[in-house]
Amino acid sequence: MRIHLALLLVLLAGPASAAIPAEQDDCLGCHGSPGMTMDLPSGEKLPLFVDKATYAKSVHGDMLRCTDCHADVTGYPHQAKPFKNKRDVTVAFYEQCKKCHFANYTKTLDGVHFAVLAKGNRQAALCVDCHGAHAISRPSEPRTKISDTCAGCHKSVYDTYVRSIHGKALLAGNHDVPVCTDCHRAHDTADPREGALSLRTADICGRCHTNEKLMAKYKLSTKVVDTYLDDFHGMAATLQRGKEKGARLAPGCTDCHGVHDIQPAKDPQSTVVQANLVQTCRKCHPDANANFPGAWLSHYEPSWEKAPLVYAVVLFYKMIIPFMVVGIVLQIALHLWRVVVNR
Amino acid sequence: MSEHSGSGGFLVRFSLKQRIEHTATMLIFTGLCLTGLPQKFYTAGWAQAIIRTLGGIDATRWIHRFFGWALLISTVLHFVGAFGAIVSKKVGFNIVPNQQDFRDAITTLRYYLGLNDKPARFDRYDYKQKWEYWGLVVGNIIMITSGLILIYPTAASRVVPGQVIPAAKVAHSNEGLMAFLVITIWHIFNAHLNPDVFPFDTSIFTGKISRQRMEHEHPLELARLEGRPPGEHHS
Repeated sequence: MRIHLALLLVLLAGPASAAIPAEQDDCLGCHGSPGMTMDLPSGEKLPLFVDKATYAKSVHGDMLRCTDCHADVTGYPHQAKPFKNKRDVTVAFYEQCKKCHFANYTKTLDGVHFAVLAKGNRQAALCVDCHGAHAISRPSEPRTKISDTCAGCHKSVYDTYVRSIHGKALLAGNHDVPVCTDCHRAHDTADPREGALSLRTADICGRCHTNEKLMAKYKLSTKVVDTYLDDFHGMAATLQRGKEKGARLAPGCTDCHGVHDIQPAKDPQSTVVQANLVQTCRKCHPDANANFPGAWLSHYEPSWEKAPLVYAVVLFYKMIIPFMVVGIVLQIALHLWRVVVNR
Repeated sequence: MSEHSGSGGFLVRFSLKQRIEHTATMLIFTGLCLTGLPQKFYTAGWAQAIIRTLGGIDATRWIHRFFGWALLISTVLHFVGAFGAIVSKKVGFNIVPNQQDFRDAITTLRYYLGLNDKPARFDRYDYKQKWEYWGLVVGNIIMITSGLILIYPTAASRVVPGQVIPAAKVAHSNEGLMAFLVITIWHIFNAHLNPDVFPFDTSIFTGKISRQRMEHEHPLELARLEGRPPGEHHS
């Protein structure tokens, strides 16, 4: 069945409240016919068929009527719409979700997808691009659905991710590992470019990597964030937050460990395994020699076993600073006491 | 070094060069503490407020390095000057600690504790002043060396093992804190709160010291200058 735009008549010009919303059965009288499409000026065919069973199973199936979202449809024949292509249709309906999902809609305004859309890129992901329209189900059931969803546009990133330690574990059924939205967030997706996201990685990665219970399961250290923050890199990165983009930025976790291609630190492919470490240092310290990675204590706290020289200096000052301060305070106290006694 | 000022009540204690060196050191030390300590305690609110005021961490680091280079230059100039003065025998090296200083320290501490009647009598520099001077010299050497390693970590690792770099960071950070504590507690007490000089020992700025204070604080030097035997009190 084909309906030409030219055949659509402008019928109801009155306010929407005057009209009785169409019940699902009324709409599905036409839209329940498989294969129903509409030709668009771009030559694309807009599918107009809605499968009743699919919709009924969706999260909205038992609560929303067609016109709750398609609020512009106030009767039949429908009002003509100036859609030139399928993307026009998606963009036109994009703001329907916010009537109910206002909090998440507001978050999207801070997201990179909205920023890209605002710059005029109409391919930027909108609600239905990730969630679907009539077949909406919980976005994280199963958990792999999240990364599959992002892969719809970000295929090459997904291909890298599934080869990483996190991605491999996810596909093996592990639910502890992060999927895309755990790091990038879902609605207020941060712009990962220009380093701003990498400065926050101590928080992002730290959510799991400082979790004692979770890390014990994998025999991983939970000191990784504290040792990083004690180090020069962590200090500089913390203080560079909120800085103008483009300036030289201190490294976060991902600058050494990789982003989507993170491997276990002992894996031969890892960017931080001893054999590859000097190459990683050279990303920022181009004249680093083979000695240079020795400056990095591999997230260990200094100890006689791991960094005896550093530990010796730590201990020396742990003793000398209190000794000096107590010594001079004592001498001052004695001096003043003598002055008072002599009076 | 010291000479009669001519006017009865005052003697010249510090030359113009020494006064300039002190003022430069004071300014450099303040600049380094102001830009260095906030980096050590960077999670604290006051530290972040200072860094923000200075224009962010990158600006703070550049200012810190500027003062660091100034410290290096002033230290080298001081050593060159001191070396030249000794070689040309213009001065005795009277700031070198000797056995007498240890005896003086014990005598003074016993006096404070009430075991002696009188404190030690000092020459040009007493043991506390020598201790602070050499503390500054050793501290400057540690700070300058570790600071250079931290500015040029890749160059440093060509000459020394990599582990020296984090060790230099620990040393720089702690030595800096210790210098700050010693100066704020010790120096401010001795130059300001000490009842002998309260509220402000001006001699390092004016170069002058009263004869009365010389008799009290540096009797041996005064006796030497006036050609008297050092042993006795003189009034």
